[in-house]
Amino acid sequence: MTWKRICATGDVAENSLKLFDVDGVPILVVNHGGDFRAIPPLCPHMEEPLEQSGICDGRVLTCTKHLWQWDLATNEPGAETGKPLLMYDLEVEGGDIKVFVERELEYEFDDDDDYDDDDSFWDDD
Amino acid sequence: MARNAKQWNTPPDPNRIEWADSRIYSDTEIFEEELEKIWKKVWIPVCHESELPEPYDFRTVSIAREPVIVCRDADDRIRAFLNVCPHRANLIERRPSGSFKDGTPSGNPRNMTCMFHAWQFDMKGRCVHISRGEEGYQDRLSPKDVGLRRLRCEVAFGGMVWVTLDDHIEHSVREWVGSALDCILDPIEAEPLEIFHYHKAIIPSNYKLWHDTNSEFYHDFVHYHNRVTGFNDAYFARKNMTFDNGHVVVGSFEVRYDQYEGFESREALSFPTLPPNNWYMIDIFPGINYNLRGSALRVDLMTPLSADEVMIEFRGLGLKKDTEEERLTRIRHHNTIWGPMGRNLHEDLLSITGQGVTMRPGTEPRRILHGRHENETIHDEIGMRHYYDEWSRWMGRPLHNPTNRPAMAAE
Ligand code: FES
Ligand code: FES
Ligand SMILES: [Fe+2]
Repeated sequence: MTWKRICATGDVAENSLKLFDVDGVPILVVNHGGDFRAIPPLCPHMEEPLEQSGICDGRVLTCTKHLWQWDLATNEPGAETGKPLLMYDLEVEGGDIKVFVERELEYEFDDDDDYDDDDSFWDDD
Repeated sequence: MARNAKQWNTPPDPNRIEWADSRIYSDTEIFEEELEKIWKKVWIPVCHESELPEPYDFRTVSIAREPVIVCRDADDRIRAFLNVCPHRANLIERRPSGSFKDGTPSGNPRNMTCMFHAWQFDMKGRCVHISRGEEGYQDRLSPKDVGLRRLRCEVAFGGMVWVTLDDHIEHSVREWVGSALDCILDPIEAEPLEIFHYHKAIIPSNYKLWHDTNSEFYHDFVHYHNRVTGFNDAYFARKNMTFDNGHVVVGSFEVRYDQYEGFESREALSFPTLPPNNWYMIDIFPGINYNLRGSALRVDLMTPLSADEVMIEFRGLGLKKDTEEERLTRIRHHNTIWGPMGRNLHEDLLSITGQGVTMRPGTEPRRILHGRHENETIHDEIGMRHYYDEWSRWMGRPLHNPTNRPAMAAE
């Protein structure tokens, strides 16, 4: 994959987030005070869909679930925020928003699916 | 001849006619002890697995007043937990059923969340989020210290989800039920089943009075339709059979639906391997009932609420692979005999409501006779006697003097 047109700049209202499907890759576009960022759709904390939980005040994106925050201009995480955002390269060209998509960017969430505790009932013996 | 107080209160000789003191039904102290000694120590089927068909689906129930949640994980395993938050004991989930797939207003997808302070738990019962955890607890408490209380849980006998509050229970569900369900095992286990009917009733009566009703057919006399249709020699020849752990099979036979006005044969939709139009009913200690009538399975669960109140949940089950048309026919078969407006159910419930009136907590002790001996056939009360032998063992209380308080007011 290469540079892809996602939408027009007018498609994402100022200080809002909108989810797009780019050839099967979900990409969230944030308009922060007229500048744009393209990020994966989930909050890196606990897989919350940021389109619903995220609010943008023009510069800072806040996930309202547990208040992780990122400065969108610098991608600086807030003090209580555990991980930075992953970002796609983005260009605005003549009113179009384009994103460089090589592969889907995804956070690592530790999923310990092998875990089981069936024996725990006997732990107190 | 009517009797005066002294005559009325003189118990019959238990060696000639078996009876129980009615305080086993009405005494609040006995009721509390039953929850501790019986209901918290046995396997209870709390719902059917098709009530939580998808990963992250859940169902909330209760056993002996303890709130319980069962949920299905991504690995398709169903696990059970106390539905109680380890933080300040709030009820974690209040909906009767639903899905955790999409999260909740204060919780993330695929976890259950206590709404009070938004602690979160995964489908394996691990705590995965404590709000402002390090700020508040520093290194004194971490998520691994505050997992949910896991409960033993097995899916068995037609896909029912069985849970016990006793970590150290001695037997598996299969060992506990033993061979009591053998008579319907092939029919209910050949194919996955699916729930198509659910209703519940809260009845002002003691739970055991409902179980009593299910363990004899002598109360044919309350069922108008049973008396005017459907009786034949095979009907009366049925034998009741008793099994270990207090379970009873209440005779089986082939039902002649042609003798039921407005009914049709169940033959075309019989459960797999079940002989046409056969009917089996099985009572499992201390308050579970399996009832297979040709084309539909009914499973009733009791939740005792107090000495004089019981919740009964009625489920109707068919085969998961049913076509739409087959399902509609099964539902019709089920509802015509068993729906709330069906053939007998209202009469059964009215009967135990009447007993509930005469055996409210504080009413005077009465002698409840269960001494019919009729060659162990369906009008014999052997099922009740078998149940109460088991009950006495669990409770350590004799049936004739269950309270150690005098049975008669001193004269
Ligand atoms: S899920 Fe976004 S901050 Fe927790
Ligand atoms: S009581 Fe559940 S999070 Fe506080
Ligand atoms: Fe009945």
